Amino acid sequence: MLSWLIPYMDTTDLSLNVNIGGIQMRNPVMTASGTFGYGSEYVDFVDLNRLGAVVVKGVTSTPWPGNPMQRIMETPSGMLNAIGLQNVGVDGFITQKLPYLRDFDVPVIVNVCGKTVEEYVTVSEKLNGADGVAGIELNISCPNLDCGGMSFGVDAELASHLVTAVRAKTHLPLLVKLSPNVTDITVIARAVEDAGADALSAINTLIGMAIDAETRTPELANVTGGLSGPAIKPVALRLVWEVYKSVSIPIVGMGGIMNATDAVEFFIAGASAVAVGTANFVNPQASMEVLKGIPAYLKQANMKSIKELVGSLQVGS
Amino acid sequence: MRNNPLLNRYDIHTAILSNEKVAEDHYLLRCECAEIAHHARPGQFVHVLISYGAGLLLRRPFTIYTVENSQITMLYQIIGEGTQRLSEMSKGATLQVLGPLGNTFDIAKAPPELAILVGGGAGIASLMLLAAVLRARGIQTLGLVGAQHRARLLSVTDLKSIGIDVHIATDDGSIGHHGYITDVLAALLGKTERHRPTIYACGPHGMLAAVTKIAADFEVPAQVAMENRMGCAMGVCLGCVCPVRIDATHVEYQRVCTEGPVFNATDIVWDI
Repeated sequence: MLSWLIPYMDTTDLSLNVNIGGIQMRNPVMTASGTFGYGSEYVDFVDLNRLGAVVVKGVTSTPWPGNPMQRIMETPSGMLNAIGLQNVGVDGFITQKLPYLRDFDVPVIVNVCGKTVEEYVTVSEKLNGADGVAGIELNISCPNLDCGGMSFGVDAELASHLVTAVRAKTHLPLLVKLSPNVTDITVIARAVEDAGADALSAINTLIGMAIDAETRTPELANVTGGLSGPAIKPVALRLVWEVYKSVSIPIVGMGGIMNATDAVEFFIAGASAVAVGTANFVNPQASMEVLKGIPAYLKQANMKSIKELVGSLQVGS
Repeated sequence: MRNNPLLNRYDIHTAILSNEKVAEDHYLLRCECAEIAHHARPGQFVHVLISYGAGLLLRRPFTIYTVENSQITMLYQIIGEGTQRLSEMSKGATLQVLGPLGNTFDIAKAPPELAILVGGGAGIASLMLLAAVLRARGIQTLGLVGAQHRARLLSVTDLKSIGIDVHIATDDGSIGHHGYITDVLAALLGKTERHRPTIYACGPHGMLAAVTKIAADFEVPAQVAMENRMGCAMGVCLGCVCPVRIDATHVEYQRVCTEGPVFNATDIVWDI
């Protein structure tokens, strides 16, 4: 929408750099965990060095096989997934996946998940000693696990306990990815901020389901899955706005961002950075297109820095 | 199966050159995709963005049916809203085509004396590019084509036009053998002892499982092209997996878009 302005506009004096909980980024456009693999998969289409940060697929203490098929289903303006965090495990990640990313000049944030506090701590400790990891995103909001995952993200006490335990074992910046599947997200947000989180990611997927009426069976083997894509953007914006008003640490906004205008809306709601997720599946270059459109908006709005845009929502009195 | 033969992938904005009904619920779409046409190998596919907005979000994967100079064709079945909408698009409508993706049928390591292609329904579409390459190498090739009924029969003329003998089976017997195409396969293998055949198959899950069993009974190698719902088709979403036997005790979920779509038939765990 804004991209036509770019060739005619000098945007060199604009400041796009942000600091997310101690991670210095050249711009505020990141990739969302689980939608960008381990970075190498998209190099034909994305110059990783131009991203603010790469957030890799969730890792666990041991390799996880993932859920049976079917795992995904398209829904109106969105998709459901129940992958079940299939991944190579933290050791496999460090030996097989991380070396590739070290060749790039981009902060690597590792999404971490587990079934117990001990598993989260084990993974975080190993990442703490790994060369090339800029930060950890604690995934307390994956909806597709029998235990662990989201159960930590829907209870303020559990979430606080987990963040405290991990905080004690790593010096890495700690982002906590919040679940939208709660009564009041601000309670969880404040709890993890108090426990030592450096930043928040909001939001993970919304739990949903799809049914085949003909066979009266669920479309996903896991029955329920996480809804993502443009369908959830209004919910994500509302939750980012609520969290923004209740914490003082930075927020990485995500949920259905397809283009630069969507991203701008998240900044206005209070996000200091954004992550592009499901859009990567539709358009491998989505993150680059989002990045291109942001300077044009700032210029048009007479802003010198992305920081001026953060939380700039004008609410009538 | 050869993995990532070239990794030359392109996302091309193009326009439909033609999009014609070729059988009941089946269409053949042609478009200009020079880079994809240049690099496409048998078994590979493209991931097509049909239209933004109006509720449809994801791309749709289609096998590359034929390559003619700088053009590719896709033979597809209407199975949902996306393919329904695609079938209603006319010449000049724009698409975004990502590809070529996935691995390829392996005919390099052990060129067969006799290649038997087994296609069920729209599955035959995944075997047409292979058929052309096999014929270009002078390998004797048989085409076994199964359909529900005569009006849904695909590709028989195309296969015959490149010199392939075609056997047909329909569920209702409206043309060819009355029954499954796998019956034809079993009967054929009983008569081809002098040759060393290889089977290449694509079609419904049940058909592929049956092909695998028949191939094992006759001790004939078989490669199958798998299909699944896809999210990214780039190997990151892990949505399109199928269960693959790694060794005697281990099974893992592998991506149809990346480790596949072509697998050794005996590696797939069919009963999960």
